[in-house]
Amino acid sequence: MKKIIFGATFGFLCLAIIGCAEKRMYYFGDYSQTLYSLEKNQTEDSLVAHQQELKKIITESGKQNTPVPPGIYAELGFILVKNNQPKEAIPFFQAEAKQYPESSLLMKRLVQMATTRDAPESNSDSPIPGAKQGQLENKGESIEK
Amino acid sequence: MFSLYSCVPKTTTKLQEFPRMYEESPLSILILPPMNESTAADAKEYYSTTIQEPLTYTGYYTFSYPLTTELLKMEGIYDSELLADIPLAKFKEYFGADAVLFTTIKKWDLCYMVIASNLTVSIDCSLKSTSTNRELWKYNGTVVIDLSGGNSGGGIAGLIASAIVTAVNTAIADYVPYARQANYRALHSLPYGKYHSRYNKDQNIEFTDQTPQEGRTQ
Repeated sequence: MKKIIFGATFGFLCLAIIGCAEKRMYYFGDYSQTLYSLEKNQTEDSLVAHQQELKKIITESGKQNTPVPPGIYAELGFILVKNNQPKEAIPFFQAEAKQYPESSLLMKRLVQMATTRDAPESNSDSPIPGAKQGQLENKGESIEK
Repeated sequence: MFSLYSCVPKTTTKLQEFPRMYEESPLSILILPPMNESTAADAKEYYSTTIQEPLTYTGYYTFSYPLTTELLKMEGIYDSELLADIPLAKFKEYFGADAVLFTTIKKWDLCYMVIASNLTVSIDCSLKSTSTNRELWKYNGTVVIDLSGGNSGGGIAGLIASAIVTAVNTAIADYVPYARQANYRALHSLPYGKYHSRYNKDQNIEFTDQTPQEGRTQ
């Protein structure tokens, strides 16, 4: 009962804060829940569950005719790269850049990373082949090719 | 001198309080890992898994938090303290972010008193420009959530029932929604971003002025 009241109050607060719109801006599903479980438990199951939730957000957004929320395509792409599926990841990075031009710089970097990872001659041990450690601290060095 | 005026919470508007937001109009925000000043080890995870959603609803492009924190780790930046040393321009150069969100979790206090318990979450947020280094926006979000058993009837039986419900509520409490609520509270004074339907039309929205005032007791 408490949860229902809390949920209703919370829902009202959300609407009040984000502005009453007839249609919800984005669909997020259980994103926070599955991400929290993943961060907390770090298990294969929790990763699969979060990945499923990301995919669900994408399909539901299509059904509800709302844009996929910022970061969702990119996050799924990144999980695929870490799962050794770089080729499958690239379209997601491209989708993110197309939906949100503000992400283009980072998405370009991630496509580059995935492409390098996919190259058969790549035998680097680095988690991001092609990226140098400490790029953020190297002053004046141009990172973008 | 203590004045009656200081008893009434003063309100201000978005434009009055945060003119630099409207001057610079950042389109994209990078959320950085929070500093945790609370006593709860979990607080950081609760915050970091619930901040992205409210921020996207404010209308900004927000970079995927799990993705960017992992990229930062790969660059050797594990510690929130290290972030303060990085020139803001680097976040623009590497991620393409117009602004960076710094957060400190001030409180994540679970107060358990048998038949009553509540959770206080308090978050300080600050948004800084990667092009001018200026602080564009700053606010605190505090929520107090009552986890108590509530009214379970009178007498001893009622008190026991109340105690049990409180204990159960506290033990199994799903803190994710509360963390999200605290984030929404902190963000409600933030001027809307490009993707919000009221972008650049919210200058006169009022909220509680958090600037310390003379004569106010804390």
